[in-house]
Amino acid sequence: MKPKETDWNQLFSIIEKHKHEKWGLIPLLQDIQESFGYIPPDSIEPVAQALNMFPSQVQGVITFYAGFTLKPRGKYVIRCCRGTACHVKGSRSILRLMKKELGLEEGETSEDYQFTLETVACLGACFLAPTMMVNRDYFGKLSPTKVNSVLSQYKKSEKC
Amino acid sequence: MEKLSSVGQLEWLRNKILAQRTEGKTEVHICMTGCRAYGSSEVMAAIEEEVGKQGVSKQVEVRATGCHGFCAKAPVIAIEPMGVQYQEVNPEDAAEIVSQTLRQNRLIDRLAYKDPSTHRPVFYRREIPFYMKQERRVLANCGRIDPTKIEHYIAAGGYQALVKALSKMTPEQITEEVIAAKLRGRGGAGFSTGLKWKFAREAEGRPKYIICNADEGDPGAFMDRAVLEGDPHAVLEGMLIGARAMGAEYGYIYVREEYPIAVDHLTLAIEEMKELGLLGENILGTGFNFHLSLKMGAGAFVCGEETALMASIEGKRGMPSARPPFPAQAGLDGKPTNINNVETWANVPLIIKNGAPWYAEIGTENSGGTKIFSLAGKVNNTGLVEVPLGVSVKEVIFDIGGGIPKGRKFKAVQMGGPSGGCIPEQFLNTPIDYDTIQRLGAIMGSGGMVVMDENNCMVEIARFFLSFTQSESCGKCAPCRLGTTQLLEILTRITEGKGQEKDIETIKDLGETITLTSLCGLGQTCAKPALSTLRYFLKEYEDHIKEHRCAGAVCDSMVISACQHACPAGIDVPNYVAAIANGKYEKAVDIIRERNPFPAVCGKICIHPCEFKCRRGELDEPVAIRSLKRFAADWYFENIGPERARFPVTKAEKIAVAGAGPAGLTCAYFLAKMGYKTVVFEAQPVAGGMLGIAVPEFRLPKEVVEQEVSYIENCGVEIRYNSPIDARHTVNDLLAEGYDAVFIAAGAQSSKHGGIEGEEQGLEGLYYGLEYLTDIRMGKDLRLRGKTVVIGGGNVAMDVARAAMRVGADGVQIFCLEDKTEMPAWEKDINEAKEEGIVINPSWGPKRIVHKNGKVMGIEFDECVCVFDDDGCFNPTCNESVSQFVEADNIIIAIGQAPDTSFLSEDSQLERALWGTLVVDDNTLSTNIPGVFAGGDFTTGPTFVIRAIASGRRAALAIDKYLRGDEARIEIKDEKTSFEEDTGLALDEETLTREQPRFAIEFEEPEARIKDFREVEKGFTEKQARQEAMRCLRCDLEKERRTI
Repeated sequence: MKPKETDWNQLFSIIEKHKHEKWGLIPLLQDIQESFGYIPPDSIEPVAQALNMFPSQVQGVITFYAGFTLKPRGKYVIRCCRGTACHVKGSRSILRLMKKELGLEEGETSEDYQFTLETVACLGACFLAPTMMVNRDYFGKLSPTKVNSVLSQYKKSEKC
Repeated sequence: MEKLSSVGQLEWLRNKILAQRTEGKTEVHICMTGCRAYGSSEVMAAIEEEVGKQGVSKQVEVRATGCHGFCAKAPVIAIEPMGVQYQEVNPEDAAEIVSQTLRQNRLIDRLAYKDPSTHRPVFYRREIPFYMKQERRVLANCGRIDPTKIEHYIAAGGYQALVKALSKMTPEQITEEVIAAKLRGRGGAGFSTGLKWKFAREAEGRPKYIICNADEGDPGAFMDRAVLEGDPHAVLEGMLIGARAMGAEYGYIYVREEYPIAVDHLTLAIEEMKELGLLGENILGTGFNFHLSLKMGAGAFVCGEETALMASIEGKRGMPSARPPFPAQAGLDGKPTNINNVETWANVPLIIKNGAPWYAEIGTENSGGTKIFSLAGKVNNTGLVEVPLGVSVKEVIFDIGGGIPKGRKFKAVQMGGPSGGCIPEQFLNTPIDYDTIQRLGAIMGSGGMVVMDENNCMVEIARFFLSFTQSESCGKCAPCRLGTTQLLEILTRITEGKGQEKDIETIKDLGETITLTSLCGLGQTCAKPALSTLRYFLKEYEDHIKEHRCAGAVCDSMVISACQHACPAGIDVPNYVAAIANGKYEKAVDIIRERNPFPAVCGKICIHPCEFKCRRGELDEPVAIRSLKRFAADWYFENIGPERARFPVTKAEKIAVAGAGPAGLTCAYFLAKMGYKTVVFEAQPVAGGMLGIAVPEFRLPKEVVEQEVSYIENCGVEIRYNSPIDARHTVNDLLAEGYDAVFIAAGAQSSKHGGIEGEEQGLEGLYYGLEYLTDIRMGKDLRLRGKTVVIGGGNVAMDVARAAMRVGADGVQIFCLEDKTEMPAWEKDINEAKEEGIVINPSWGPKRIVHKNGKVMGIEFDECVCVFDDDGCFNPTCNESVSQFVEADNIIIAIGQAPDTSFLSEDSQLERALWGTLVVDDNTLSTNIPGVFAGGDFTTGPTFVIRAIASGRRAALAIDKYLRGDEARIEIKDEKTSFEEDTGLALDEETLTREQPRFAIEFEEPEARIKDFREVEKGFTEKQARQEAMRCLRCDLEKERRTI
């Protein structure tokens, strides 16, 4: 499932929404990412124009924040928590296993745009360490078996 | 909801909400925040369905709440007003909860908290230790109210503080109240909140802004998240009061996008407030205007820093800027701005509502109130903990947190995340306050406490934090950008086994420079994790660099499998376990003997560091490695016996060993194996050292030691009994007699004296631990009559008490300085002693032995408050006002052993260490005289058999090198055995998914075993042993595959 072409109408309506907002750049970019799953590089110029900024400024903000991505992501974004509590409870091995299972390195997206593997500094669910997040769902107290079962759940849900 | 146009209308609304509540309704509170990750939404749906089905909807309210705190047992539900808590609830439990507890007030054992020692169910929350020591003020509503409903907050007394602030107080009075409450910023730095407000209030310029910093980026901290999700209005009310005090018109909440539930709840809360007229123009008709909006972060840790956070709100790259000007002068948009963190804001309504005196009545002299900590990592009760400032770290981790899982040893707690440091064991009694924590090299931070146990490597932890700060450094200033990279490089190098000795100094220098010269807090504190681990765990750094040893057995480059690395002798555990699984017991013993000539002894009394590191232990329980070794060794001696061919003597040099204990015999064994002629001189008529003369037979039968010694003798080691090395036959004499090297392993066999008042020599009924055990073991008649008191908390004290029990004492009580968690004795021995009826009294310091006519009458104790002083040194403090007198007919002092150096002649040129033993090189065990080496308990002080064995092997390697003229350091790396044994074991997935718990070992019944000295523990049967061995995950093979 390749990402769709950028829907320019949708993009412009988002820009319009935030154009007059004070300090609107970040909320605008967040909105774009929410709608498209990423920030299409094509959108940088129109955004800059609307906010009366240089495109380089917009690009600078996008690349500064780990939350923004200029590359399309998979349908399921898998985030492996690498926070302290998860680390001391072995999230290094959990990440290793995920990489192996998904055949992806950190930050990579599968060719069929099903999965993106990311690491995150802390999910704030330290009490359930080690943890992971798939889109907006948390999974905790991970073990190799549990990781496999969570991942296969999403792999399966794709087939049917 | 209608807009409220006056203060009175808010009170009217509160009364109306309260009046509409049905009396006597049972409430089920289900955490729908943190517990959601463990399926609480399904639980809630199931309970709601059952409530409907069983027709009790009118009597029962099922309520979605915030976090209950006890996250370790998620999903957690509470039933009010009964005060019952159920844990680890599944949707399948719903029917029973409704039919039993809600309808018939019957409690369900299965779902209750279990007391960890008695396993009895504890139903009521107020009786669960996790809650008992807490003071839940800020978290009072969390887990009780529905955070998405403003009515719940109002009904619980919410916005009363706002009413008071708006109608009865001037802005100056509000600020003064906050100053008087001694509230300090809960975000980490701990600056007085009231003063900060005052600066913002007095600053020129309009409009003024206030900001709530909810960018909880500190990995390991989740208290802000819980407050935002569970009680958002408390934070918002605090902000309103702050805005009033400072005269601010606009407010922002900067929240992490990684917290979707918090964002949802805040958004809802703000909507509700707008509807009620609690935000906007002319709030409650008082003419007070305040506008609040939510800003979401975009994943940059540095934005937790206030200047960076403001840049981010303004839509820029979140880079910090130099202060001054401080935000109070020129913040957002260049206007006066105040920033406080979530928890700080949530404290404000409490202060205003109840007054500063109430607030500051708990806490310390300089900081009032409570602090919330998020307890995570290697601790049983992970979760949210709110305690008064000033309680000790120990109370939080052990009393509330329930200690360390799986019987492992506490190593340190990391406070303050990547900007903080670690607090090691000796400072557990430190009261938690901004200043004390700072003094120890950590920081209070936002309140993350990540507990680490013996299986964590402190160098690796420092590397972990640096990799975090390095990637989060914004790059604006060079010290931070380059410094973090350099530090990370050095730390990575050390964990990869490529460290250099000068690295330690470089880390210190670099760390200090970065701290002094960086622009913002991120850089100024980034070196802390490295500096603080270096301060308390220097040895771990040195071991990585010089010895390629990782105490936590986690650094890949030095570890093949954790069990092997953890073994001081470095036995290839996975292969001998595999050999047992395949029924090849002789081969298993051969593999053990490659590193340790005492398989049977270690099979019975080894402290098995391997099992604490076993990876199977992460899944369920560790493989019973010690018992497997015992099985193989017992089988060996039963079926093959101690006979064997001598090692051929192939070398010309002769070596003498002083002392036939485990260290001496191991050294001799390995030297013989290398082809040296070796003679061991032993003062006693039996060999084995402590094993032969002190360890009681109920733990280690005599024949076992005899067989092992005889095997070693058969290898070609000559033991000369009754041949002490002393003034008549000195180390020099040995050298003169033609021995090319001497290894002194004389052990630590003289009992320490207590130095207690009244401890006079020759008293009837006064004994010393080791001598007492030796006398018993050597067959002396030492029947005891009457009450017996044993002093000491170590393994010898346990042995002494249990032996005393067996020779007729009427009652045996142990008294020790340490508290339960600090006792150095092995937990297994403590438990076995208790089973046998021995009473253990921790935290008592001996004060005076009372005697009459040369006979012991009793002993007086003072309560011991703490064993270590503020500097972490052993320096017990006793409370003389709490004391007791214990009548006793016998007192046995077992407070430690020291080496007996009396055999070394006065004029010996051997260099002595401070405490009387010899100075040796850590690596080669060589003394200052060429050719003379020393090791084992003799140089280290009393430790465990396996360490003495490791020391003996090290000495053998060092002596061989010395004789060959090789001056290089000894490198003892983990190596795989040549007897490889490749089997699938639990590694293949089929067996892994099948549950297979560890086999329990059987013991003699306590009532029977205390009658004589029979062995207490029984071994595995062959079938059990082979099945238990199959549980091994073969981590060593995984590693080999990975390196290919």
